Amino acid sequence: MTTGTTSPAPARAGARRYRARSPLARYLVRRAGTSVLLLVGVTIVTFTLTNLVPGDPVSAALGEGAAQNPETREAFIRSRGLDQPFVVQYLLYMGNLLRGDLGTSLVTGRAVTTDLATAVPATVEIAIAAIVVSLAVSIVLGTLAAYRRGLVTDQVVRVVTLVGLSVPTFWLALVSFYIFFLQLRIAPGSGRISPSITPPPRVTGFYTIDYLLNGDGVGFLDAAAHLALPVLVLSLVTIGLLTRFIRTSVLEVLASDYVRAARAKGLSGARVVLDYVLRGASLPILTVVGVAFGALLSGTVLVESVFSWPGLGTYAYNSASNLDLPGIMGVGLVVGVIYLVINFVVDLLYGVLDPRVRLA
Amino acid sequence: MHAPRRLAPIALGTAALFLLAGCSGGNSANTDDAEQSGGSLVIDTAFSIETTDPGHTYDPTGNMVAKALYETLVDFEGSDVTTPVPGLASWEQNDDATEFTFTLEDGRTFSDGSEITADDVVFSLQRIQGMVEAKPNFLLTGLTVEKIDDSTVSITSETPLLQLPAILANPALGIVNADVVEENGGATDGSDSAQSYLDGESAGSGPFILDTLDLTSQVVLTKNPEYTGDEEPAYDRVVIRNVTESATQLINLQGGDTMVAMDLNGDQVEGLDDGFTVDSVPSGQTIFLLLNQSPDVAGELANVDLSEAVRYALDYDALLELAGAGATQATGVIPTGFEGALEEGVTQDLDRATAALEASGYDGQTLRLQFPNDYPVGGVEFTPLAERIQAQLAEIGLNVELAPAPFATELDAYVGGTEGFGLWFWGPDYADSANFLPFAPGLKVGLRAGWDASANPEIADLAAAAASATDVDERTEDFTAFAEAMQESGPFVPLIVPGRNIATADSVTGAVYNSVWDVDIAEITPAG
Repeated sequence: MTTGTTSPAPARAGARRYRARSPLARYLVRRAGTSVLLLVGVTIVTFTLTNLVPGDPVSAALGEGAAQNPETREAFIRSRGLDQPFVVQYLLYMGNLLRGDLGTSLVTGRAVTTDLATAVPATVEIAIAAIVVSLAVSIVLGTLAAYRRGLVTDQVVRVVTLVGLSVPTFWLALVSFYIFFLQLRIAPGSGRISPSITPPPRVTGFYTIDYLLNGDGVGFLDAAAHLALPVLVLSLVTIGLLTRFIRTSVLEVLASDYVRAARAKGLSGARVVLDYVLRGASLPILTVVGVAFGALLSGTVLVESVFSWPGLGTYAYNSASNLDLPGIMGVGLVVGVIYLVINFVVDLLYGVLDPRVRLA
Repeated sequence: MHAPRRLAPIALGTAALFLLAGCSGGNSANTDDAEQSGGSLVIDTAFSIETTDPGHTYDPTGNMVAKALYETLVDFEGSDVTTPVPGLASWEQNDDATEFTFTLEDGRTFSDGSEITADDVVFSLQRIQGMVEAKPNFLLTGLTVEKIDDSTVSITSETPLLQLPAILANPALGIVNADVVEENGGATDGSDSAQSYLDGESAGSGPFILDTLDLTSQVVLTKNPEYTGDEEPAYDRVVIRNVTESATQLINLQGGDTMVAMDLNGDQVEGLDDGFTVDSVPSGQTIFLLLNQSPDVAGELANVDLSEAVRYALDYDALLELAGAGATQATGVIPTGFEGALEEGVTQDLDRATAALEASGYDGQTLRLQFPNDYPVGGVEFTPLAERIQAQLAEIGLNVELAPAPFATELDAYVGGTEGFGLWFWGPDYADSANFLPFAPGLKVGLRAGWDASANPEIADLAAAAASATDVDERTEDFTAFAEAMQESGPFVPLIVPGRNIATADSVTGAVYNSVWDVDIAEITPAG
């Protein structure tokens, strides 16, 4: 083994040594490898499923008039490779995929990547905001309910979460839009920004961040205001899910000896909650946050529809109803990737939060 | 020990987010109010637009935008689509209706200030003829476009084409600035690649120019400073927003976020109180039933007696209840407002229906009614409609089983002519009754019902006569005769012409529905 002092690039050599030794690094590599395999699986499933769908994408794309002209049909089919055998089509698709080409949307006539580049940030912007809001609220509610187990507070929290879980998202979105925009006049109308405002120059695709980067305070406030209501609606559902989990986890931890010991030592209540209880309960919470984020993405389809949010849900719906196969596959792939990334991050955070995972 | 330090920023961040959402909400409501008194018009519609290149457009929203950006040789006034009037040009035609000469109006310019010439017209139309994959391409099939001099263009047709002026009023045939488009990839030989340029900028002479196009959220137009026509726009800026949910359109309209809502259904417009105006008119669409006449598909029930039984068994008033404001009973395959449309529709006659059912050889079989269940037409949902038809036909002893499917899936069976009993719709491609001749035996829709030309040569002849007529009055008579014969012995049962509701805030006026381009945006002006 070379020593750090004689190596021309000590930092790199050090890193290599670390990778070889550290179980976390080995775990990381193995986990990344699995993710890639899973991703290939996702492409096979989405490609097969979309090709099994009955219906004629050519008519859907060309419109009735042009689709009846055999020459036009022929040219279209050939230009899109639709005349090739299934496996060849898949390999062509994978080849393009590796070059970052998801094909051309049959509906918009633009690259699917271009379409997704606008749709994905719009949805992720809502989803991230919703997960942050609901996590914050759920931690407070869940801990409170666990501490006041069986008391009035616990019952109230139980009812609130039950409502959050059982109210249909679509209904909730419409009613809250009606109340907060039309009746109370404290929320703005539908869409990502007011019609009087110009979208920000694109950097991240998140309007709030792009306005800030552009130094446009008015635009930022407008975008944030338009974000508030969809986020609120999505959060309510997620809060229902998270609070119940957090309550259970906190209850388990509260019964453990080390918490009892901490209390016996005379530590302050806040100290016990933050340092002992929540840290102890963080692993199950992390797991359910990962699941909730995935659920959020699917919940956005309905919320996006009510708030006219041009996100992934809207795009998926449009692609599906127009038999836009490249578009559908693009959406499937993106959702698959998002799930994998979330799981990957959650697994990594396990290692950070729980030393036992690092040794495993 | 580290946990508190990690949690603190999260807690702070969450608090900040809440604070922000709270105070900015109020803020933005104010900007909305301020925006209303400005020079900007907001229109909410469920987008059906793929491009702002007129040569590729063929969707309702796309046509509405193209109408605002480009001008056509021929125009219509308001919602009247029966009488073409001069647009960029006036015209003369020969007695055979095969040669049309268009003379461009003097002094008309594009948005860059250059004059509109015959070269621009020839280029615009030949460009579309060259692009075989372009959706409006079929509008110009069989036509020859030639320049005569700088301000005169001739268009000749292989067959008599009285409807040519009506065809040319389609916004897809808008005249583009040839120099600009050619510089950006435009060509007439089929190699055209100007669409991406025209999705970013417009090159026309319409009352507006394109500011931005975002196919998923909004199209923004601004006033054309060089506009020389007679429809001077009242607004400097127009924002057309994609609002797919009609309930959201309604709330946006009531809350003052938008001035025009294009897709409210009948119930929603009836619930609108004072302060709003609704223009409810029958659309050009017809919802109909088809009964297949091919023995391969329908077996021994492949006969028009069964169609007659269905036609007279239905209670049309009860069906209309499902359609809401503005909808009317379909009086035939040609909807009201078009040349040759019949005055009266069929009224329920159960005796006649029962007799026809007997004549058809019906023997208790169950008919599968196939229809798209995710594609409401003009606010009419097909599933409740199909259920009511099923219930009404049960009264004469005709058993119907419902077979719903997604539009994109079911379309194949319909277009391929394999549906025995189907519930579908038909809308005109351009504003002329010739668009309803495809219902004839041997033509597009007729074949979908397994009805070939030999099945009813009389009706086939009537359709051919209407198609090749060279005299306007004769043509109207031909259309009427065709519509009557179809109601008498065709395999179709026209049901409903859905209504189209354009709801506007009282602060604006002039939003009138037109079946070709939905709404002429330049005609919308502030009220009072």
